[in-house]
Amino acid sequence: MTCVELQESLIENDSGGTAAQRAHLRDCPHCAGLVADLLVIACAAGELRAAHEPGPHVWNSIETSLRREGIIKPFARRSLLPSLTGSWSWTGWALPAAAVVLITIGILVRPHAPPPGVVTGGVTSQPASDAALEASVAGLNDNDLLAEVAEQAPALQAQYTENLRNVNDYIRDAKYSLDANPNDEDAHRALMDAYQEKAMLFEMALDRSLP
Amino acid sequence: MTDPQQKQPGDALEAGLIEKAKQGDAQAFQALYDKHKRRVYSLCLRMTSNTAEAEDLTQEAFLQLYRKIGTFRGESAFSTWLHRLSVNVVLMHLRKKSLPVVSLEETTQVGEEDTPKKDFGAEDLALAGSIDRLQLQKAVDDLPPGYRTIFVLHDVEGYEHNEIATIVGCSIGNSKSQLHKARMKLRDLLRMKRSEKAQKS
Ligand SMILES: [Zn+2]
Repeated sequence: MTCVELQESLIENDSGGTAAQRAHLRDCPHCAGLVADLLVIACAAGELRAAHEPGPHVWNSIETSLRREGIIKPFARRSLLPSLTGSWSWTGWALPAAAVVLITIGILVRPHAPPPGVVTGGVTSQPASDAALEASVAGLNDNDLLAEVAEQAPALQAQYTENLRNVNDYIRDAKYSLDANPNDEDAHRALMDAYQEKAMLFEMALDRSLP
Repeated sequence: MTDPQQKQPGDALEAGLIEKAKQGDAQAFQALYDKHKRRVYSLCLRMTSNTAEAEDLTQEAFLQLYRKIGTFRGESAFSTWLHRLSVNVVLMHLRKKSLPVVSLEETTQVGEEDTPKKDFGAEDLALAGSIDRLQLQKAVDDLPPGYRTIFVLHDVEGYEHNEIATIVGCSIGNSKSQLHKARMKLRDLLRMKRSEKAQKS
């Protein structure tokens, strides 16, 4: 086997393990070095698998599309918080937001006798809670929040507009469902979740200061 | 490619996430994305050598997958399904850009072209058993697109030649030949870089 024949044979047997290849490689350091290098390259290539991470905006775009197309369902548990990456200062809507948070916490921790058959997983839903949260959430002004974002962190404006639209859609869908089935436990819980997520959206802003 | 039928320890958790995603659960979609994003994105990046394109393709691959998730029955591994779909998304993109997915020539003789011509000298003949990952990455990016596709699918992603032939639409012999040439070209590029570095220092 000549050097050219050896190299041609590597197309079919790249490890150089056939008898003819081994015989040539024993006496030819040039080809032995070549085979060793090609094997090193092949082995090192595995390290390129999963070596890089996409930017966070890739998931945000995917999530936006999934919501728009209705693939993420309004009543499946939503999460706005992971997509919020900005930082915030105190603003004019701080107090109503704080009120919502306090009410939310109060509802979750206050011991009370639940209506029959309406307790699940430690979270209690009842009409009074929906009403109390609704009243407080109504005090939050989306325009104030967006104006603040536009001024302090314009890069996040689109993200916050999207998040607000999502949570408002969520509240609207949940209300619609609850109106249709006033005794539906899931609908009550969905509305509670929706109010709480909007409250959390504003709460995030309270805890942060813009650069 | 790893055996799609072989169940992995995380499969039960993943199966739960898939079921939740079928119900439209946002967190399940995100958890599945988080688990597989690096692999999909890295594939797209290696095949295109362009971060913006790779991110767009990653997004497209996951969207296509999630739109069809209701049809996933678990006969094959979710990751196998996702990666195959991702490969198709990238290949479609390359074809749209009229980039060669695989070199058109069939198995030309070794030594005719694209083989190393530069003599680097005996002392730096071998790559000394180790390759810096970044250097390899850059060298792969410098490969002609046709060679790059086969190299990434075989050596990086672990597909067999018969699978590549089906995916790419070439003969098994062509896949083997392209892979050999890709590795030869990479060796050439790596040695050239090593030689340049040695001259500078
Ligand atoms: Zn030889």
